[in-house]
Amino acid sequence: MMHQTIKRDGVETIGDPYLSLEGINKKYGLVEVISNLNLEVRKGELIALLGPSGCGKTTTLRMIAGLISPSAGKITVEGRDVTQIAPHGRDMGLVFQSYALFPHMTVAKNVAFGLEMRGLSRADIASKVAKALAMVQLGHLAERKPRELSGGQQQRVALARALVIEPSILLLDEPLSNLDAKLRDEMRTQIRDIQQQLGITTVFVTHDQVEALSMCDRIVVMKGGLIEQVGTPHEIYERPATPFVASFVGRTNRVKGRRMADGFIRIGSSTIRSTKPAGQDDVVVMVRPHRIHIDWNAASTEQPGETANQTAAVLSRITFVGDVIQYHFDVDGSEFIVEESTKKSQASHRQRDKAVLSWSVEDTLVFGADQ
Amino acid sequence: MEDNPTSWFMRIAVTILFLFLLAPVLLVFPISFSGDQILAFPPSSWSFRWYEALLGNNVMMSAFLTSLGLASVVTVLSLIIAIPASYAIVRLKVTGSEFLFNLFTAPLLLPTIVLGLAILIIFASMGLLATFTGLVIGHLVITLPYALRVLSVSLGNLNLACEEAASSLGAKPLAVFGKVTLPMMAPGIVATTALCFLVSFDEVVITLFLTGPRMTTLPVELFHHVESQADPLVASVSVLLILMTLAVVMIVDRTMGLTKAFVK
Repeated sequence: MMHQTIKRDGVETIGDPYLSLEGINKKYGLVEVISNLNLEVRKGELIALLGPSGCGKTTTLRMIAGLISPSAGKITVEGRDVTQIAPHGRDMGLVFQSYALFPHMTVAKNVAFGLEMRGLSRADIASKVAKALAMVQLGHLAERKPRELSGGQQQRVALARALVIEPSILLLDEPLSNLDAKLRDEMRTQIRDIQQQLGITTVFVTHDQVEALSMCDRIVVMKGGLIEQVGTPHEIYERPATPFVASFVGRTNRVKGRRMADGFIRIGSSTIRSTKPAGQDDVVVMVRPHRIHIDWNAASTEQPGETANQTAAVLSRITFVGDVIQYHFDVDGSEFIVEESTKKSQASHRQRDKAVLSWSVEDTLVFGADQ
Repeated sequence: MEDNPTSWFMRIAVTILFLFLLAPVLLVFPISFSGDQILAFPPSSWSFRWYEALLGNNVMMSAFLTSLGLASVVTVLSLIIAIPASYAIVRLKVTGSEFLFNLFTAPLLLPTIVLGLAILIIFASMGLLATFTGLVIGHLVITLPYALRVLSVSLGNLNLACEEAASSLGAKPLAVFGKVTLPMMAPGIVATTALCFLVSFDEVVITLFLTGPRMTTLPVELFHHVESQADPLVASVSVLLILMTLAVVMIVDRTMGLTKAFVK
């Protein structure tokens, strides 16, 4: 699922950015929707802007495209300042959530539009359009009108139209949101394959963490106009920088605890370890549901090693979701959800069953309570 | 649905309503083929004499041609003015565009008779009465609010992303407008054309103030004719007017469908 092969560190400045956003600010009246955003994108990289609606990800994309101009800051492509350049001079391919195909033109005419604007010869246009449509497997529909195509086909035409001009950067604004789940999976793979094949630098806006994790080289998690974390999918998932990132990307349990001077964290009557230094403050502890092991033999008194945490729990509810089964446990008044893959012969458990939950210290994410 | 009693009640109610609305119009058809000297229903004999009389009536025929020319010129001018105006108001959102929009559409709210009187007073001092120019300007006051409203709605309903996509593909603002915005507005433009033409063609109230013996339009001439004599000539003129209106509506329907042009 994950595509990155080289270990990269997302936080530090990268050597030679292809696209860079420096100190970007956007205000609508008195409302600041983007505050001091800094981002560098490498050549050939597929980077996701991930966040809930209203986090400023689409605004950021539209500023890169030139459709809105930042209130302050600078956008450069290959060192060239494009902040003041109109969209038609920016050479960027844009794909919209609503596809935005020209309804009065055929598929071929739609794809040819950008080339015609560039004044290419008829023969060149025809061959480039044919190649672009072949790339998205729509050569046979060239003479159709957009309204005669399915959503997935329309989105592929939009992709071909954006790519045929060989843009310096491809910008995708929630391109898969209007497609049904199965088609979305297919398009995900197809977009990633084409992006790799062309080696085109791509910025991908999405609110879907699965899309971001499975397709992108790096993810920028945004919230309220600010960047929460930049990193590879692996970093974002395994080492979330903030509780928001931990809960937005992947599922997680969230319980309150108190960090003690001896380095342990007290949650109710249990004491657990973490990789964080000692302190004396209230904290939020997060553990991913599928990283927790259940020992149904509650009488077991086996002590956890240095590398594991464990706590006694009482089963309160079971939710069957097909491929996984969710056990809801009560741990001293806090709820812990544990997920297990389902098997055909599922052992049956009942409410009020006692169990011991254990998980590795490495999987114990600890954040300050005020974060 | 078939067995639903309310649906039967609705059908009957709708049929009665349609008959009520259309009866006077339908009545005009038999009367126009009347062989009588006076306007009466049912006619005692049948003939084409009033159609022949119409063709031989120079005043009516020239009024018809004036109306036709006037409606065409007014329609074209309405489009030329209202398309850029609606673009400025809806897309560019220039300062004061809200005020401009209200100003442009204000004539719709004023009593037409007041408007006619006001225009009469101003035109009299400018020597524009009973001139083609005067009629064109007077009619524009009436058609522009319609044109602006229909075109603004049509433009407002367009997917802005299409224009943004065009500009990201390298189209300069004028090319975006010509190649994407304008073609996508086509249904609105056809509706505006039909509406302006029909409104101008049968405008009476304002036109009454602006016409004179030198220049008159068909509806005004019809009005004067009924005032002086009650013969079935007016019925035959009415039939021709109805047929022309139907023709315009059918052209709109054939090119894009009525609902698409008027409802959206």
